[in-house]
Amino acid sequence: MTEPVLSVEHLSVDYQIATGLVRAVDDVSLTIPTGRVVGIVGETGCGKSTLAQAIPRLLPEPPARIASGRIVFRGTDLVGVPARRLPMVRGTGIGMIFQEPLNSLNPAIRVYDQLAEAVLIRRWREAGILPSFRGGPEPFDYSHRPLPRPSEVLSKPVVPSGPVAEGPRRRLPGRSEVRKEVLEFLRLVRIQDPETILDRYPHELSGGMRQRIMIAMALSERPSLLIADEPTSALDVTIQAQVLTLMKELIDEAHASILFISHDFGVIAEIADDLGVMYAGRLVELGPVAEVFRSPRHPYTRGLLRAIPERYKSDGPLAAIPGSVPNLARLPTGCRYHPRCPLAREVCRVDPPPDLAPVGRTAEGQPHRSACHFPEEVAGLP
Amino acid sequence: MAGSSTGPPEGPRGRPTRWRVPGARTARGFYRVLRANVLSFVGFVLVVAIVLVAVVVALDPNLIVPFGSTQETGVYNSPPTLFRWPPSFAHPFGTDGASLDLYSEVLLALPLDLGIALAIAGFALLSGGTLGLIAGYYDRPGTIGGALSAVILRTTDVFLAFPSLLLGLAIVAALGPGLWQVMLAVLLTWWPYYVRLVRGEVLAVKHLPYVTAARAAGVSERRILLRHVLRNVLEPVVVYFTLDVGTVLVTFSTIAFVIPGVVSYPRPPEWGSMLSFFNLNYPISQYWWEVAFPSAAIFVTALAFSLLGDGLRDVLDPRTRRALVESVAAPNPPPEGPMIVAPPAAVGGPTALEAG
Repeated sequence: MTEPVLSVEHLSVDYQIATGLVRAVDDVSLTIPTGRVVGIVGETGCGKSTLAQAIPRLLPEPPARIASGRIVFRGTDLVGVPARRLPMVRGTGIGMIFQEPLNSLNPAIRVYDQLAEAVLIRRWREAGILPSFRGGPEPFDYSHRPLPRPSEVLSKPVVPSGPVAEGPRRRLPGRSEVRKEVLEFLRLVRIQDPETILDRYPHELSGGMRQRIMIAMALSERPSLLIADEPTSALDVTIQAQVLTLMKELIDEAHASILFISHDFGVIAEIADDLGVMYAGRLVELGPVAEVFRSPRHPYTRGLLRAIPERYKSDGPLAAIPGSVPNLARLPTGCRYHPRCPLAREVCRVDPPPDLAPVGRTAEGQPHRSACHFPEEVAGLP
Repeated sequence: MAGSSTGPPEGPRGRPTRWRVPGARTARGFYRVLRANVLSFVGFVLVVAIVLVAVVVALDPNLIVPFGSTQETGVYNSPPTLFRWPPSFAHPFGTDGASLDLYSEVLLALPLDLGIALAIAGFALLSGGTLGLIAGYYDRPGTIGGALSAVILRTTDVFLAFPSLLLGLAIVAALGPGLWQVMLAVLLTWWPYYVRLVRGEVLAVKHLPYVTAARAAGVSERRILLRHVLRNVLEPVVVYFTLDVGTVLVTFSTIAFVIPGVVSYPRPPEWGSMLSFFNLNYPISQYWWEVAFPSAAIFVTALAFSLLGDGLRDVLDPRTRRALVESVAAPNPPPEGPMIVAPPAAVGGPTALEAG
């Protein structure tokens, strides 16, 4: 397998609050291979969104702080990138799609200008006017580049043949060019007659349209990683289905990997290849989505899956996990899930569970990991 | 229209092309929204009229001020104006204790008072607004910006601790009499309100998702501040500014009224000092016109800006603007939004992304 687009290693994020530090994301490790969709599910407040915003370093620091760990994106550790260089990483590498499509577009700017801004920023980077992110530990320093040897210069054709797109473009895009590209991206997200909405303000569009425009904005930077933070939660079900279909198609067209945050198993099952389950700031289970659905290896995942209402049968109350999400400032000892866990024993109360250990493999050899003392016994639960 | 010399220029194939005046469409939209609300339209008309009159008076008083030049020189036309003469056809507002025609005086004072009000509110908007923007956006403690914003805010608190009229009077007392001194006093008490207002708005806006989204798109901090934050803060600030012009006018006139001689009436003429010139030993019921007409001028001007400010709120908000324009202007329903195509295969051809 090729190098993953993103690998998060032992990432911990703290929030500074009045009474001290709260660890919202604790020792999370995951990798996103090229072209795959990794879904993250969990209850409200389990740290999903913090994780999503910590990866492109979007969390306001302070109050948030990356306490430890590495976020390796295309070979560069983003944790070490100084704040002034962050815009170039965000613009050229990682695209974000947010939860609230109404508030994620500037209400005072027309659709065209919003998209044109993203397109222009990318073009400026390509033209070398803005510094751009190239991966690697440091952006390439041109001042020390050795001069090309005469043989290299002479062997190149005077008039370049073939596609001109090679290498950075040194020309500023014209108005019509930007407009063309904006329209192209709007068509890409399946908006028919994009000319008619260019002059509109975001509030004049429906939720689905706004979310499409958000997706177009994120894609117009040509990211290699797309982070979608509950992109469909604020939409109703039919629009949700449309947006999901769109995103699935775009994965192939845009060659982007996606980190897809959601609390909805149905949405995750629809779109994700891998599934991670978060509980109280920790990743408790990680594996291929079908495998996790078929045979969960963590009692929390099992509980969540059982809590999905089946069809529209009215055979008694809905299954639920007893208890509630622990307060992150006062976590239980040992395994964080033990007060709610049907498998809990003495060891769960005392010892924290092992780090995500492989507990099985799929037929393709992909590991299925779980952070539980007794992953084998989960299958035996009612 | 086509073909006539005054009509629009003809385009190719003899069709008239539309006049293209930059901002004409926006201006028409503003006008329509203002017209939708009677009160704000009244305010708009009054403000336009007041500003027009002020400009004319400033350019050449003799055009509309009946005793403009004679009051300047003190050489009167016949019949000579009379000492404290009640309103009449020759002197619609009567004459005052210096036997000056009050109607001319009120008009002559207009450019000065309006200019002072606009200038003070404008300077307060610019200085206080800039400081508020800095204090609101760079508020992270432990940085240079954070320290700067702390200094700005504590200074603001000091100024806001005193009632502005009282502080203004104290500053005038310290600076001594004179037009510029009073202006400086009002300005010094005025900017902190804009710091407060702008900072509050910036704090509210800068954590909204679209600012985060812009940041996620790689927009630089300066550009976010100017394009995404400032643009969304502008609307309440401009409304507040418009409402404020009237308040500045009233405050300035009050200071000029309370401290007699602080603006050396009768030259330059100023509404507040005209009131103060009226000697209170005379019964107001007997010489009511000397008080009534300058006060009315202050009242009408302040009211006009307040009414306009209310209407501006609607104009500047794109939500209400579009709705109001359509409700007023368009008899036919607004065009339907573009539909979303279900089958993606039809548009899935070569795309921009395939190159990247």
